[in-house]
Amino acid sequence: MKEQSFDLLVIGGGPGGYTAAIRASQLGLKVGLVEREQLGGVCLNWGCIPTKSLLHAADVMREIESASSLGIDVGKPKIDLEKIVGRSRDVAGQLSGGISHLMKKNKIEVIRGEATLKDKNTVFVGEDQISAASIVLATGASPKNLPHVVVDGDRVWDARSAMTPAFLPGKLLIIGAGAIGVEFASFYKSMGSEVTLIEMMDQILPAEDSEVAEKAKESFSSQGIRVLTGTGIESLEIKKNGLLASIAGAEEKFDAAILSVGVEGNTKGMGLEGLGVELEGGFVLVDEHQQTSVEGVYAIGDVSGVPCLAHKASHEGIICAEAIAGELPLPINKNRIPGCTYSYPQIASVGLTEREASGRGSIKVGRFPLLANGKAVAVNDTEGMIKTIFDEKTGELLGAHMIGPGVTEMIQGFVVAMSLETTEADLMATVFPHPTLSEAMHESVLSAFGRTINF
Amino acid sequence: MPKEIYLVKVGMSMTEGMVSEWFIPDGGTVKKGELVYSLETEKVNLDVDAEYDGVVKHLVEVGITLKPGDVVGYIFESGEDVPDNLDQADSQTIPSEQKEPEPVVQSEASVPELVREGASNIEESGRVKSSPAARRLAQELGVDYRAARGTGPGGRIVEIDVRALADAGGRESGRTEISVQQPNLKASPLARKIAEERGIDLASIKGTGPGGRIVQSDVEQAPLDRNSVSSPTGLTAELTPGPHPGDTVPVKGMRKTIATRMHQSLMESAQLSMDMEVIMNDAVKMRNGLVEEWASEGVKPTYTDFVIKACAKALKSHPMMNSRFSFEEILLLEEVHVGMAVALPEGLVVPVVRNADRLSIKELAKETSRLAKAAREGSLSLDDYAGGTFTVSALGMYGVDSFTPIINHPQSGIMGINRLYDGMEWEDERIVKSKKMNLSLTWDHRALDGAPAAEYLVEVKKLLEAPYRLLI
Repeated sequence: MKEQSFDLLVIGGGPGGYTAAIRASQLGLKVGLVEREQLGGVCLNWGCIPTKSLLHAADVMREIESASSLGIDVGKPKIDLEKIVGRSRDVAGQLSGGISHLMKKNKIEVIRGEATLKDKNTVFVGEDQISAASIVLATGASPKNLPHVVVDGDRVWDARSAMTPAFLPGKLLIIGAGAIGVEFASFYKSMGSEVTLIEMMDQILPAEDSEVAEKAKESFSSQGIRVLTGTGIESLEIKKNGLLASIAGAEEKFDAAILSVGVEGNTKGMGLEGLGVELEGGFVLVDEHQQTSVEGVYAIGDVSGVPCLAHKASHEGIICAEAIAGELPLPINKNRIPGCTYSYPQIASVGLTEREASGRGSIKVGRFPLLANGKAVAVNDTEGMIKTIFDEKTGELLGAHMIGPGVTEMIQGFVVAMSLETTEADLMATVFPHPTLSEAMHESVLSAFGRTINF
Repeated sequence: MPKEIYLVKVGMSMTEGMVSEWFIPDGGTVKKGELVYSLETEKVNLDVDAEYDGVVKHLVEVGITLKPGDVVGYIFESGEDVPDNLDQADSQTIPSEQKEPEPVVQSEASVPELVREGASNIEESGRVKSSPAARRLAQELGVDYRAARGTGPGGRIVEIDVRALADAGGRESGRTEISVQQPNLKASPLARKIAEERGIDLASIKGTGPGGRIVQSDVEQAPLDRNSVSSPTGLTAELTPGPHPGDTVPVKGMRKTIATRMHQSLMESAQLSMDMEVIMNDAVKMRNGLVEEWASEGVKPTYTDFVIKACAKALKSHPMMNSRFSFEEILLLEEVHVGMAVALPEGLVVPVVRNADRLSIKELAKETSRLAKAAREGSLSLDDYAGGTFTVSALGMYGVDSFTPIINHPQSGIMGINRLYDGMEWEDERIVKSKKMNLSLTWDHRALDGAPAAEYLVEVKKLLEAPYRLLI
């Protein structure tokens, strides 16, 4: 048993935790970080990053399939799933190693194991006792389960098994059409699986603007993905040679299923109950500087509430590190956290949906289809649109919703605009480069005020 | 491209003026919004701010009479070559006597490039929406169109706005006022827009955004009514966030003008004050009656109106109090124009009630209410300021019983109006309740002595105590 002491102990080495640790170290604190698995957390090892590697393969596949229409004949491509998955693991491994290096560089002591809080200044990792003036909970979230669905990892997969498949399912059922479900639908569809995507809510991507979600649904359907909304799964039996699902009263066979019905905060099993840390809806309740109901104990990222996104976690990590170091950081504005889905087509958004915005007063809505964008036509990728929502009175950009090629890289333009509180006048007065897909962003703003040029 | 600094035109009647002081030395750097020179006309002094950042080069020296719209100097933006030979030679090319200076020819001889390119820059400059016709008119009238309040589509500045601006002496819009006072204010576009919409002065707001930037939430949480500062209770004034302890408040604009004038007044004259009690029973009765009678017309006479009327009437029979003193002679003024001090959040302004002695109480009440409103809206014209011969200043709404107002130089007297209160009086051997008010008169002892000043004060008192005489 050994004893250690830190100014700050971070529990969890995901994008929130390691960012908090680095920022705290920059501010002169002595920092320790506890991680039970790999540095980088779910995002880097089992989420954002490896899935982007998989989806990149899917994009390349699609490009190859459309090559002949551009005058390039390449014949039929052959898929080596093992190699595709292997590369995604290599990418995760490489980046996780990078975090390890960052920890060393910033003199952050990484402690391997599971942390249990004894009191607000004392943590046990195995036998070792660690004392810390402040503690940051950055324990992340885990996939939610359904009571009647058993995730066995062989045929019924959670996200983690879905990104390391032992076989390519002929018929795949995806339960839950949030960002994760939709991305897997795109990946497996382009790998050649027959995909059924079902969603309990009456739209896929329930967090997105319904108009964009509807467009996404149309696009997926036209690609051959079977999309069922307002539909739940009544039962899912694991049979010897496959799965038997009961959907809307009808039985259907599948080779595999992915359960992606959301996540819940990792709050259990570390002694939070005894400490009196208040929870709300399965997440730790925090104030504007990420402090929990117990002074000196902070929570960031997925465990501190929705949206469960890596960039929200890392931003909160910086806020809490600065607050702990005695600075007065600006709290995160949850209305200005962008969300990206890397399906085909891509979806990206920030701010209020049209429905949310219209509930708050008079609005102006702009729409611009990529079909009218020169660059989109040139690169043969015209499916999508850009939608912008403004407060009619003040010209405040309330929300932006994009679907189409490259939108996940473009949304930050609107995020910066919102962050700087620009009005429609500033956006209209901005020169967008030609020819780019981003011109559609400008046109969408113009369109909201009846001034669009190219449509 | 170097930008011209013009001799600004203030008021339609302005025909000539001069730079009375350069605030930025020749070759000195200026930031947009900083005061660059002081304009002097026969009527007013006005401090003019820079419209651009850069290096200032003087084209004219202090004291040379020019026409409005004449170029007095240039601002060279950073990175531009600043010529050395601009100052002396060129200032002589604009003789003060010349009424038709043919500016183009002249300027071309000296600085041809500057004039041509500069002129087009004026039209392009800034983000203010304006029509070409408005800009052309602005050039003709020699006013800065960007100061106008746009009434065209989308707030665009159109011709009538420029005309209104010129009529108002070039100081109409809130925009100029704000830019004069807080040149480098950091605020998001959205915050600016909301502030503009709600009439909130951004300078009164503390920014909580990144780097202290004023953001949407700061403006939305700000109290709405900046005009209520002058309300009698003073309560709303406390709610308005002003400068905070530890801040440095620059002395410029209105503050600087007030500071200079007050100091000058005390330095150059021999001031002293005296108080006198006035029984206001009849005045109160009469005012209440008139308030009721004129309510349907929206005219509401105030006690200040009564005092202005009484002071003005008494001045006619005490001309020494309505005079302008110099060590050679004392000029007894024929007309009685009474200034009234109006407190604004950013300082004091003194619009003038012209020929107050000849106005009826009703006309006077209408005029003072117009002036007070215009003062609060920042839409007083230069003519509204000009020509005061005596001033009244009221602090009664704050419960003040006596004070020593400072003469509005070069006048000879100022009347301080104090609180109206319930006092006592002897009626035979009985004590009765009585409405009372003190008047605080400050006068210039150089012009008149204590006895005639007291006689004047007694006359004002008598007029207020028998207020029917005000109607005659």
